[in-house]
Amino acid sequence: MELLTLTFVQYAFIGGIAMAILTGLLGPFVVQSRQSIASDMFAHVALAGIGAALVVGASPWWGALPALLIVSTLIWWLLDSGKYSPDALAMFFLSGGLALALGFVHVARDTVFSFENYLFGSILTLTLTDLLAIVGATLLVALVVWWLWYPLIGATQTPRYLVPFRHTPQLVQLFFFWLLAIVVWVGIKTIGGLLIGALLVIPVLTARHWAASFRQLVLLSTVASALSVVVGLLLALYVDLPPSSLIIGTAIALFILQLGAGFKLTRS
Amino acid sequence: MSNPVISVQNVSKAIAGRSLLFDVSFDIAEQSLVSLIGPNGAGKSTLVKIILGLDRRFSGTAVVRSGERVQYIPQVGMADQQQLPLSVYEYISIATSRLYGAKSTAVDFADTLAHVGVSPDTLHQSYTSLSGGERQRVAIARALVGDPTVLVLDEPLAAVDYASRAGLYELIRHLQQDHHMTVLLVSHDIDSVLPLSDQVLCLNKSLHTDCHPSAFTTANDVLQRAMHHHC
Repeated sequence: MELLTLTFVQYAFIGGIAMAILTGLLGPFVVQSRQSIASDMFAHVALAGIGAALVVGASPWWGALPALLIVSTLIWWLLDSGKYSPDALAMFFLSGGLALALGFVHVARDTVFSFENYLFGSILTLTLTDLLAIVGATLLVALVVWWLWYPLIGATQTPRYLVPFRHTPQLVQLFFFWLLAIVVWVGIKTIGGLLIGALLVIPVLTARHWAASFRQLVLLSTVASALSVVVGLLLALYVDLPPSSLIIGTAIALFILQLGAGFKLTRS
Repeated sequence: MSNPVISVQNVSKAIAGRSLLFDVSFDIAEQSLVSLIGPNGAGKSTLVKIILGLDRRFSGTAVVRSGERVQYIPQVGMADQQQLPLSVYEYISIATSRLYGAKSTAVDFADTLAHVGVSPDTLHQSYTSLSGGERQRVAIARALVGDPTVLVLDEPLAAVDYASRAGLYELIRHLQQDHHMTVLLVSHDIDSVLPLSDQVLCLNKSLHTDCHPSAFTTANDVLQRAMHHHC
């Protein structure tokens, strides 16, 4: 337990719990809108932003944020046109983002830089500035979700048709994409761009059979997500394995546990 | 018809040379119940999208009278195992947001549910656990919360068992007559809509005339006319 008194460990727990709140809040909307793959697409776009930041000598993590916000708006606009299928667009930006990122890093000629930290996370290296940005992003996302609670449920459940003559569902979907972009931005710093999707989706799948309402689903998903982060990080202090894999491993274990509990309840 | 609630004039739409609608014209009078019928692929959904302002790529005009509040009730699907939990309260609340154009949020959901014939006890139950008929009535309750003057219902019987159909149509008729709403019903269940409608629009890409229901003797008659373009 002595390890818990170390500053970097405390930062990891605070950042991790903020991440859990973000994914717990937004995960149900992501799963409901059947756009789970979008987080992966955004993560690859973030890599392109990181590469561009390296070229101009800016902070890589902060460079990812404008790239995410601009490209998420572009993706929303392309999807809204109805001309392109979501899976084709996902592959377009997923591969395109990665290709651009590789190109930028080559141009930057930064021999020390490695994408690994952003792909698989570096939660144990958070600084106070990182932490403040993560907590700020969490508060912002929580505020917008609270403000747009029912419109977000509507826009991700029955897009367009519910409100004739108004652009509300489309605009709310744009807000949803921006929220997802912010969650991915925090995710690449903490749990990793390639693993953030797991924390958005698995806790929702774990919680869904135990919730009777969307509000309960968000609460239970957040609890499952926070539990995964706390147990994963505690394990990482004693087991020589990457924290991200232990966090996602715990989330998967929780899913299997609830499957077993549900099966037992059905049998009895 | 002077100042109709909905006026569609010479509407045509084609995609890649394939005609979806051709020269469709009709008016819908205030407080009437109009059924839009036709076989699959007749262009019913396309026409509804145009009327709702969701599809602007067409020639002709489709106008809803200024000041009318239109609520669209999409087809209620069969119970979807993949759908995430959503309580009836939450399902109705989606329509109460000012962003979604609700006139007032001070609506008693329990009263609205009772009004459409669903027990107020279901308010905190999961929407997906309800029967098809109940879900259709809850969908109507959600539309009523938006205080509409025009209701557009898409295949309201799709997920409803035969025994519940008469009650559902009674509810729609009640909304039209007692609440002075204009109702546009999209359906391929001709048998059920025929005795209910003030006006029947038979569509099969084009609509030659719109007819009073007494012009038909049987549902098959309607279908045949719709199929062969001479309503």
